[in-house]
Amino acid sequence: MMPDDIASRRHILLLCLLLAMLSLALFGWSLVDVFSANGSIAAMNPSGRFAGLIALHSLAPRYLVGLLAGAALGLAGVLLQIVLRNTLADPSSLGVAAGAHLAIVAATAFAPELGGFPRESVAFAGGLVAVFIVLGLSWRRSFEPATVVVAGMMVGLLCASLTATIILYSGQYLTSLFLWGGGSLAQQNWMPPLDLAVRFVPAFVISMLFVRALTLLTLDDQGARALGLSVSAVRLAILVLAVALSAAVVSQVGVIGFVGLAAPNLARLMGARTVRLVLPLSPLLGALMLSVTDGLVQAIDRASRFDMPTGAVTALFAGPVLFWLSSRLRAARPDLRADGLTESSRRQLFPAILGSLALVTALALLVGRSEIDIGFDSLSTVATLLPWRAPRLVAAMAGGAMLATAGCLLQRMTSNPLASPEVLGVSSAAILAMAISVFAAPAMGLAGQIAGATLGAILGFAVLIVAARGGAFEGNRMLLAGVALGSFCGAALTILMTRGGMEAGMILAWLTGATAHVDPAIAVVTAVLAVVLIFPALLLSRWLDLLSLGSEMPAALGLAMIRTRLVLLTLAALLTGAAALTLGPVSFVGLMAPHIARHTGAADARSLVAISAALGALLMGVADLASRLAFYPYQMPIGLFASLIGTPYLLYMLARR
Amino acid sequence: MPACATERLRVRVAAIDWAMLETAIAMGVEVVAAAELRLYRQMVVEPAMPPGVSDLGLRGSLNYEALLRAAPDLILSAPWYVKYQSNLSRIAPVHSFRIDQRGRSPYEPAMEAARELGRLTGSGERAENLIIEVAAEISAQRERLARRRGDAFCIINIGDPRHFRVFGADSMQGHVLDSLGLRNAWAGQTRYSAQAPVDLVSLANVGDADIIIVRPIPSDALRVLPESPLWNALPAVAQGRVHVIDPVNPFGGLPTARRLARLLGNALA
Repeated sequence: MMPDDIASRRHILLLCLLLAMLSLALFGWSLVDVFSANGSIAAMNPSGRFAGLIALHSLAPRYLVGLLAGAALGLAGVLLQIVLRNTLADPSSLGVAAGAHLAIVAATAFAPELGGFPRESVAFAGGLVAVFIVLGLSWRRSFEPATVVVAGMMVGLLCASLTATIILYSGQYLTSLFLWGGGSLAQQNWMPPLDLAVRFVPAFVISMLFVRALTLLTLDDQGARALGLSVSAVRLAILVLAVALSAAVVSQVGVIGFVGLAAPNLARLMGARTVRLVLPLSPLLGALMLSVTDGLVQAIDRASRFDMPTGAVTALFAGPVLFWLSSRLRAARPDLRADGLTESSRRQLFPAILGSLALVTALALLVGRSEIDIGFDSLSTVATLLPWRAPRLVAAMAGGAMLATAGCLLQRMTSNPLASPEVLGVSSAAILAMAISVFAAPAMGLAGQIAGATLGAILGFAVLIVAARGGAFEGNRMLLAGVALGSFCGAALTILMTRGGMEAGMILAWLTGATAHVDPAIAVVTAVLAVVLIFPALLLSRWLDLLSLGSEMPAALGLAMIRTRLVLLTLAALLTGAAALTLGPVSFVGLMAPHIARHTGAADARSLVAISAALGALLMGVADLASRLAFYPYQMPIGLFASLIGTPYLLYMLARR
Repeated sequence: MPACATERLRVRVAAIDWAMLETAIAMGVEVVAAAELRLYRQMVVEPAMPPGVSDLGLRGSLNYEALLRAAPDLILSAPWYVKYQSNLSRIAPVHSFRIDQRGRSPYEPAMEAARELGRLTGSGERAENLIIEVAAEISAQRERLARRRGDAFCIINIGDPRHFRVFGADSMQGHVLDSLGLRNAWAGQTRYSAQAPVDLVSLANVGDADIIIVRPIPSDALRVLPESPLWNALPAVAQGRVHVIDPVNPFGGLPTARRLARLLGNALA
């Protein structure tokens, strides 16, 4: 590791001074506005006696909270990046923030009578569970950066979808901004900055005391161990410290993306190489970045009369920066080949899967529930209800099959077992565009919304293609481009949702999946799309077999590598977009089905695709039945139901390894 | 269906939209099913739900099987739910009522909606009665509040300790304040008023106006607000001019106007 040179130190100093001046200037501007005669607040309040109070109890603590929350996130980010040796790690990319936020929302909804419950410890527990799931998922790939980020994105999506469901069911979608995870820094007393200071300062001192141990951690484990360090104990301790910092921020001001990711990387970009320099610089840069962003957000608020959540605004930058960083990662060729499992069991498997499909179809069509009991409906009832049950079942199963196929393609193509259609970001783009059409042209109705969603999916896909082209559609580059696109769209959606009102409720319903509203026409379209898109996947499966041999071989076989990947990626994106229209953005069927298929012994790509598609249909059939019956007449979002079925399975797979 | 047929038949109505649900119940129309009844009982409260109405589940995820079982003759919807139109119309004729619209008072459209519902269900007379009753309640409360005529008020929902939702001129709440002879402190402002959450500091903008908080109040706000120097320094808070009233439908129809007028009369007179 090279020492830091003088020139880079000078650059860093200059940058910090510049940012500090900007941050102070913006703070000063907000003060001037409050006290000036024609400022936004003083104008309404001719006596002006409020200006002083606002400056003292709102603007000053808000400024400090911006600095402290930014510093805490910067420190959490740099600690996570050191511990995981992963420049893409930060509280949001690891799912910590989303887990903490989910825990708080769940506690607010289910135990509101607790009044003074310790919100921060709830957030801490949620964040810790999330990060352990993420690390567990990426354990077998020894925490390889792209895998960790992809796993973090998945856990984050699952948490966000659970959060949305809780908000939807508790009927709170009309009021609280905090519940949206928008990360507002607005203040009206001094408790949040004090609380944050009390947590950040000791954490920072501890980290600086252990600067030597942290430096050793950036070496390889053997080197660190040889120098007398209990590597795993130190890792765990620092991880817990980082999660605690992040939980403190989430519980005080909500989810604030990007800062923890950007601050350490900015420090490195400016030439800071040693831990001794990066460690203190990250919180400093984090503090200045968040403070400047918040200053700009406040200035925009004053001009536009519309409060934006600062956390979601910072998160808008996360996508592009993540993508840029990922292009600087050394390309590590993942080593997952086709699992060489026995082929003997495959013959008996198809009948078993087909049998289960038939059984689930029958149950889904025949079993019903009234407000009194649950059981098989009479024939006449079934005849009445069939035109309702059949379309949603068909759409769910077709969607499941499409997602499973997409997941299969992606996992084979990227050689990454965690590649799931959700992380491509195409469905997030579709939903963002749909939301924009709901707000901008409410009169257009369903046709407008579907047109918007389709346009969004196409645009998102175009961005994905352009972004991934730089890496010749190499597996991890593609996934990270997808994660970047998804997090950008997610942040934009949060900003829209915080405008509240009935539109937000409608978008929320769409976010959690909409099979309930499938009509026969949509069902037919989905089924046709499924056939039209899955069939080519079966035909192209030979390419997948060749691709998974490694990057040199297929070229030798005369395969136009890049074009192959482009075609497969297009197919996966089309499958994902088509399924998202009915299933909502999250289901993880595309993740689970190929895994189960592999476990059943499907070895070549063609049977893997076929079995995955059948399993995907089966899983969504079960989810449809269960979501319809579980809380009658209230229906669970089907995609979420599927992911709740799937998460234990993923954890089980994890434990077996 | 033709009007002469509806005069003789009892029209069974299902309501997706709460504003029309409360209007239908207040008019004595036979309601067989409606969405999100659990939340309705907490947030809308009145008119009380008659027994035997089936719950259709979330407005965002309607249970069509429950709706089929209820076998309505007419479904009351709103523009928000346009996406369900094709499915709903497979069960019964759908009528969509637009009451809330940005930048316009919802009272006129709410009266029109009641009349329209009266025509559709052969209870036109009861629609006129409802309109008269609501207007009478409002003018009675206006008399009661004569002493406070022209005083400024600000009606809010507390979202969390740092944000609240305010009801501008284009809400039923804003209209009721107006017709009670009170002044909506928020109405004259340029600030975006369509019920988005805004920073609590903006309450300083309402100057000397009384603050009316509509329940429910989140528990963390109950804990934090009394400790906030800024909250305590608001003239209304410092001088004990904060009134808390029971929940009122934020996107309501005529019954909401009546309920709000009565609650305001009780709180302020």
